[in-house]
Amino acid sequence: MRLVREKKGQFIVIAALLLSIMIIAVSTVIYGTVTYYRQERWEEYVTIVDSIKTASCNLLQVGLANYTQTLNQTVLRDYFNQWIRDVRKAYPGFGVDLSYNLASGIRSAYGVSLNYSLGLARTWNQRVSFSASDATVNLDIASAGLAGYSFSSHAFLKMNIRDAVWYSKESRRCVVIYVSVDKEGSEAVVNLQKSNFGVKLSDVTPPNFSVKRYYSRTYSCFIYEIQVNSIDALPSSVEVALQDTRGIKTVSYTTSIQQSSG
Amino acid sequence: MTKAKQAQNQRSSKGQMRVIEAVMASLIVVSAIAFLYLFAATPSSQPQETSELEKIGHNVLHDIDEQGLLARFVYRSEWANLTSALIVSLPTNVYFNMSVYDVNGNPLSHPLMQYGNQQIFDSSKAVASVSYIVPGYQTSYTPRILVLKLVRG
Repeated sequence: MRLVREKKGQFIVIAALLLSIMIIAVSTVIYGTVTYYRQERWEEYVTIVDSIKTASCNLLQVGLANYTQTLNQTVLRDYFNQWIRDVRKAYPGFGVDLSYNLASGIRSAYGVSLNYSLGLARTWNQRVSFSASDATVNLDIASAGLAGYSFSSHAFLKMNIRDAVWYSKESRRCVVIYVSVDKEGSEAVVNLQKSNFGVKLSDVTPPNFSVKRYYSRTYSCFIYEIQVNSIDALPSSVEVALQDTRGIKTVSYTTSIQQSSG
Repeated sequence: MTKAKQAQNQRSSKGQMRVIEAVMASLIVVSAIAFLYLFAATPSSQPQETSELEKIGHNVLHDIDEQGLLARFVYRSEWANLTSALIVSLPTNVYFNMSVYDVNGNPLSHPLMQYGNQQIFDSSKAVASVSYIVPGYQTSYTPRILVLKLVRG
């Protein structure tokens, strides 16, 4: 009986020892797993990637703004080449390496086919006009083991002359142009002022015009209503030039002008 | 009578042994856990705190940039407007210090854009630093590096 009791006692003590070893072993593994995340500063890399991504998108806008104002076709390529060097300087020690691929040939952007050259495209002097830039950027960060992270960026501006109407009534002789403006993501641009627009009627710049903006139920979109007063004859053409707050320019043109006696 | 007493004694000593065994087993398990606590260095909350502040700082700069205001403030040297935008966008208990540099590291922002006493930055153990790059404004490519330092008050 005594021997049996002693054996039982040994068993409990051995079981407790084994249990303790198991607790220590499992805890060590769990602790290591939990603290691994805390020791690695993933956020730092995430913010760098995000910052470079946003800045690359902004660079496309800056490049497009320059192109639409100067018509320098190589500007985006030059900016990207400089950008690659400057990113390395801005994040020293991270092993940041950028490469880019500018859009070329006919590509679709927001439902429109555009002919790109060196990442830039424009279709001006039509009723619906466009200015666009498109590039694919590849990002490597050696210190984070990140390789081949690729993203596409676009900058886009579209202006549509919905209607141009000449009101011929004696008391109200004016031209009213209804224009809608969209940017990338088919998003309506709603923050434009009179200073963003330029108007020409029959290739002549009128001395003054006014701009109203509102959501139109007729066109089911946000509309800029440009009114030019004291126009005694039906103009042969209407040209609207637009430069948005980012500096991107586009020019719409139409010869289709309605006449209204109302 | 004697046999019954002997059996009772035997049961009693058996019970005592069980108690001793249980106490010993408990001691072993407790000492194992105590051993773990002794060696487990709890990670400081500092890295967690700075990474949280970094996220906040980056998001705020990104939001101002998305609204098209950041480039305007930086390139037109509207430092007061930039400071106000940051004060409005950051949580009330977060203080900041912002500097703007060109790509060669030359400082461009004067005066210093700061919210909160310098003492808070000097005494705080968890100062988060966010670098944000703005490539240009309107038609010109002239990159600027924004360094935003954040502490909790």
